[in-house]
Amino acid sequence: MFRLYRKLRLVEEGSKHILLIAFALLSLIPIFWMLATSFKDPQEVFAGHLFWSNAFNLDGYLQVFREIPFSVWAWNSTVVGVLQTLGQLIVGVAAAFAFAHYRFPGRDALFFFVLITMMIPPQVTMVPTYMIVGELGWLNSFTGVIVPHLASGYAIFLLRQSFMTVPRELGDAAVIDGCSPFGTMWHVYLRLSMSAISALTVILFVGNWNDFHWPLLVLSDKSMQTLPVAFVQFREEESLEWVPTMAVATLSMLPILLLYLAAQKNFIEGFKNSGLKG
Amino acid sequence: MQNSIPFTGKKVRTSRRFRSGLRKSWIPFAFLLPALGLYAVFFVYPFIFALGLSFQSWNMISPDKTFVGLANYRHLLHDEVFWISLKNSGLYVLLTVPLAMAIGLVLALLVESLWRGKRLYRLIFFLPVVSSIGVISIVWSLMYNPQVGAINVLLRMFGIEGPNWLNDPSMALWALAIVGIWKGFGYNMVLYISGLKSIDRGLYEAASIDGAGRWRQFRNVTLPLLSPVTFFILVMSIISSFQAFATIQIMTKGGPNNATNVLVYQIYQEAFQFFNIGVATASSVILLLIVGLLTVIQLRMSNKMVHYQ
Repeated sequence: MFRLYRKLRLVEEGSKHILLIAFALLSLIPIFWMLATSFKDPQEVFAGHLFWSNAFNLDGYLQVFREIPFSVWAWNSTVVGVLQTLGQLIVGVAAAFAFAHYRFPGRDALFFFVLITMMIPPQVTMVPTYMIVGELGWLNSFTGVIVPHLASGYAIFLLRQSFMTVPRELGDAAVIDGCSPFGTMWHVYLRLSMSAISALTVILFVGNWNDFHWPLLVLSDKSMQTLPVAFVQFREEESLEWVPTMAVATLSMLPILLLYLAAQKNFIEGFKNSGLKG
Repeated sequence: MQNSIPFTGKKVRTSRRFRSGLRKSWIPFAFLLPALGLYAVFFVYPFIFALGLSFQSWNMISPDKTFVGLANYRHLLHDEVFWISLKNSGLYVLLTVPLAMAIGLVLALLVESLWRGKRLYRLIFFLPVVSSIGVISIVWSLMYNPQVGAINVLLRMFGIEGPNWLNDPSMALWALAIVGIWKGFGYNMVLYISGLKSIDRGLYEAASIDGAGRWRQFRNVTLPLLSPVTFFILVMSIISSFQAFATIQIMTKGGPNNATNVLVYQIYQEAFQFFNIGVATASSVILLLIVGLLTVIQLRMSNKMVHYQ
């Protein structure tokens, strides 16, 4: 009886794996296909095979480094991604500390306002923000891409969630021991929330690196554009061949994929702390 | 603040530093200043400005704006493209949200009940979520090539002649919805997995002692207890699928014949291609009203439908 039960369990487990593997392969097709096409011979593209390829051809990649200002785009993306993420963290930590550590009039209303900002579609404020950035003379500059997004509701929200788990007594003890407010934030709250902060850093960076709509509006100069924006425009204007297109696509995804694989635990855990209580 | 030990009435002298640390109410505002300042300049002011612009006629370049009252809104009501884009936005949401949620839930249930390999599947299914939407849109637009794109090549293996995805008005929105689902289901799966983890195992034991089979356990334990997560995903997915832009901008430009022109893309066109700032902002105010209304309706419904432990 017990043996039969175990057998059934194994069959069940096996069939689940078969289902999941099938779905995993299906959902990975775009990634596989991008990789496979990037190594193909230009003629082979039109033979209509899915992944199979005769040649392992590096011409696409060589062409990228020869004719496409890829390193410029990658550098722009890196600068924007790093600075924007750092800024969002600094602004977010300071605001979250105020929300978590202090009681002051209007605190809950202000926090509710932060939540509301996440709900409002960015398209509503996009046109006026574009004009303000223009007035400030920030069009076509990294400043114009970065500064309007420094106050990130998502960052403030997640950091506050994690600061709320710091015991009140610890914060109060630091104050009693003569810690300055900044010191309290630094030594107590930041120290105890490092894992949440590292998860948030990865999430924010990936979001900033992948952002498309806003950089597309602000950055008109080719030498200033971030990777996705420059790549899209370059492809449209130069009617780039398939093989180099897929090579650029692969190279553009690579840093993010590596970051994701390195920090995956952080990344997926970070999403769970969104304060959902089942 | 009473400077005395509770219940003893003994006065305690606290140091001035301690008192000031707890009393100075400007300190939290100093920490909030960067965030609030940025919000004021890049959120509150543009928001009010947008409301104002939606009652004006302006082309972004000329120095004079004219107040036109409700003319922009009236213009939209008579604009065929606006109605088409509104319909397409709704359709897109209806196509993507339920499917991405259902796939996310099914995968979460499967992955969570495994003995081994949980982490690997999570890693794989979350991959589309972190991929760059701009880059992946280009990959997908080649995948949809009717002759040699991966999708139709795959269909041909099964003897199906696939459509000309992006150039067929009846298929183009579906094609974009598939990309939207592909990009989004992994996020839903991760949220559902964290929801499943927080369910008390004892409830299942109690249910099975009461003679509930697996299906009954799922219906009467799992689903009700996942309802807060479901609600959260629903609100978030609707808001975000209303804002799909990059796929449309890159893959179809709203075509063919406006078949994939959604509200967000129509706003972009009015503002940055035709320079009808008033019309664009009026359209964005309508978008805001729709999203706000849907969120309020969902909040109302959630009071009836969502069960907390």
